Amino acid sequence: MIVANQTLGDQLSVVSSQLFPPQRTRPLQARIIHYALLVTAALFLSLTSAASADNRTYQRSVEKYAMPDVTLINQNGNRVRFKNFLPTDKPVVVDFIFGTCTTICPVLSAGYASLQQRLGADTEKVHLISITIDPENDTPAVLKDYLKRYRSKPGWDFLTGSRKDIDRVMKAFNANIPDKMSHYALTFIRMPKEDNWVRINGMMSTSEFLAESQKAGIK
Amino acid sequence: MKRTAIRDQLSAISGQRSARNFWRLTVLLFTHYSLLITAVILLPFTAHSADDRNALLAGMDQAEILRLGERIYREGILPDGKPLPGYVSGDVPVDGTAFTCVSCHLRSGLGSFEGNVVTPPTNGRILYQPREPFIKGSEFIPYIHNYAVYLPVRPAYTYETLAALISTGFDPTGRSVVSVMPRYEMSARDMAILIAYLDTLSDKPSPGVDKSEIKFATVIVEGTDPSAVRSMLTPIEFGIDRKNSLAVAASKNPRVALMSYNMSGNLTDIKFSLSRWVLKGPSTTWKQQLENYYKTEPVFALLGGITNGDWEPVHRFCEEKGIPDLFPIVDYPVISQKDWYTLYPSRGVRQEGEAAARYLHSMYDLFKGRSIVQIIRADRRAEALARGFRETWAETGHPPAEDIILAKGEKLTAEKLQQIVAKEKPAALLVWDDASLLPAVSSLVGKPDKPGLVIASGTYLGKSLWAVPEEVREFLYMTYPYRLPQDDARYDKAAKRVLAGKPINLFDPVIIRQSYLTNEILGKALLEMRGEYYRDFLLDTIGMMADQYFPLYERVSFGPGQRYASKGCFMVQLGKGKSPKLVRRSEWVTQ
Repeated sequence: MIVANQTLGDQLSVVSSQLFPPQRTRPLQARIIHYALLVTAALFLSLTSAASADNRTYQRSVEKYAMPDVTLINQNGNRVRFKNFLPTDKPVVVDFIFGTCTTICPVLSAGYASLQQRLGADTEKVHLISITIDPENDTPAVLKDYLKRYRSKPGWDFLTGSRKDIDRVMKAFNANIPDKMSHYALTFIRMPKEDNWVRINGMMSTSEFLAESQKAGIK
Repeated sequence: MKRTAIRDQLSAISGQRSARNFWRLTVLLFTHYSLLITAVILLPFTAHSADDRNALLAGMDQAEILRLGERIYREGILPDGKPLPGYVSGDVPVDGTAFTCVSCHLRSGLGSFEGNVVTPPTNGRILYQPREPFIKGSEFIPYIHNYAVYLPVRPAYTYETLAALISTGFDPTGRSVVSVMPRYEMSARDMAILIAYLDTLSDKPSPGVDKSEIKFATVIVEGTDPSAVRSMLTPIEFGIDRKNSLAVAASKNPRVALMSYNMSGNLTDIKFSLSRWVLKGPSTTWKQQLENYYKTEPVFALLGGITNGDWEPVHRFCEEKGIPDLFPIVDYPVISQKDWYTLYPSRGVRQEGEAAARYLHSMYDLFKGRSIVQIIRADRRAEALARGFRETWAETGHPPAEDIILAKGEKLTAEKLQQIVAKEKPAALLVWDDASLLPAVSSLVGKPDKPGLVIASGTYLGKSLWAVPEEVREFLYMTYPYRLPQDDARYDKAAKRVLAGKPINLFDPVIIRQSYLTNEILGKALLEMRGEYYRDFLLDTIGMMADQYFPLYERVSFGPGQRYASKGCFMVQLGKGKSPKLVRRSEWVTQ
């Protein structure tokens, strides 16, 4: 019997028990409908759980970092003062990669390449910076070759430098690792005139990276 | 409302339906689900049916299929020469030449790990078997080397499910891999070519490997100093003897087996052997000699090797046959970005010239446009140093230095040096010569045009590096491609173990330490290879190693495709006093 003060759950359970009474003599029709509903629910749950699992591949936080005053070298061999190199008048994105990296860097760099594609003709309105974590091997020539492979456009710089200076930059971003083979995926986004960086820790798919860039304000 | 009333109502509704209507509904419902499920499963495979496979490749030569498949796998180029189009996250286009199979699955196809990202093997032999946890229960142990932790169990692939994975990004369990692996778009024929290549990847055992033995050889060029040959051989033979002793001990005592080499695959039971391949006569005949040795005794890999001069014919032979060579002791390695099979301890003599260029680049603004001069003795060593400097200097975008090459057999004299300095007035002077440069450079002291710094090669000076006159020490900088002696003592103990009981003066201290690297890296790599003794996987495995700290070099580092382990060189000066130390003036690697 359904009474006024029963909760919705109680009411549903009553209806359910009335529809499918727990006796062996439950009609065949009801059993078939019951299983069909179960299959639908299982399909729905598996789809939603797959989608929510994808969302858990990275974490996003907002952080404040103090940049070290170090001189790094770009893909053209030019020495750049890192502090001044980070623009304040346009969005900047920073990641840590290396020239011969296998799994993580191609995904991060595909994200950069896609963002540049989406920016259209004026790719320089967002400054993309990749910093090598393998300065021993990554000479400017290696960096240049890497950017060429990803068909980079103006606005994407790849920096190397002394191991000491690269370590200082990594520490400043709270991204230091003991060895390049302990590499993990990190992306940082800062909008114009902002002090705060959006820190994204983990492997983003390219569409997630584009969505995060948009969320941070990059149009 | 009473329960019975509801039941009555429902039964009244259902009672209005005839039994025929009910069965129609049931059939419709099941037909709907069946079609839905069939469509989801079969839709991606329609273009790549196994029945079509042979028809697609009909008339093609097997070698041609594999060549084209290899090009898709390694370069991302389709048989028609166009780049393989890929889509990251299912929709964002990415050019296959930037990001293709080999980028993550590596050359052997046996997969990779970096940080905590693990890429599973992609060769047919493994794909067509179901994947179970490595050791049952081990999937619960959080340890990087236990790669089963990161790889879900899956059924065996078939041709169809593999084609579907590559083109849709869904594996046979319905799991999507598109967040990291691009989805590749290609015709059914191109797919058949690629899969035919995957089927042969790391499939047949590499030559020189069987269930009981792995054969190695070392190449010795006749005429090389016997002490150098002895120094190259000793650490390698030490490692092989130790491995074989452990194999014997493990067979007699299972507790020994538990201690080391049984940690992966069947390494405990396997013995190693090392043959000496001695090359005689002119280098033009070496290829044939190597062919003959190899025909008689195919080996898995070459270990070390030594020459006084040329090594290129051995390098080319290894490329042609696909034989790894770990750390030959050579002054003039082949410099290549693409060659795969020879892994050198460093870029050789030229690395010092490259370091000098980077060091000067770091202070170029101070030169205010004044020139840089290289004085080059007419011999191979000096020319290699000068070439290393010249090419790296050009990369930095500076105008070329003035090169002055001495006549054949000519040594630098004080008079000649003073003339050059008076004429060129260089900001920096590089002198690529042996100890005969020291009196000449001393004569510059007090001269008005004395350059701010003079650079020489520490290895070319040899022991004379310790005899640099006091008055020159202030402005003579030397390239030094090793860890400084005062810092090396704590690393050196390991190398000295190899020499226990042997007269040290019969060995070359640098070569014995270079060769020690071969022994250590080989052992580490074989332990990581999980019983998969494939030549490309040996090099892939070394490419995945973290930086290593051994005697001699400040650091050796690897990476996929990196072929020169030590990449650094200090700029040093000799300190003051009667027992001077080397004083570091740069970092290990100057950019």
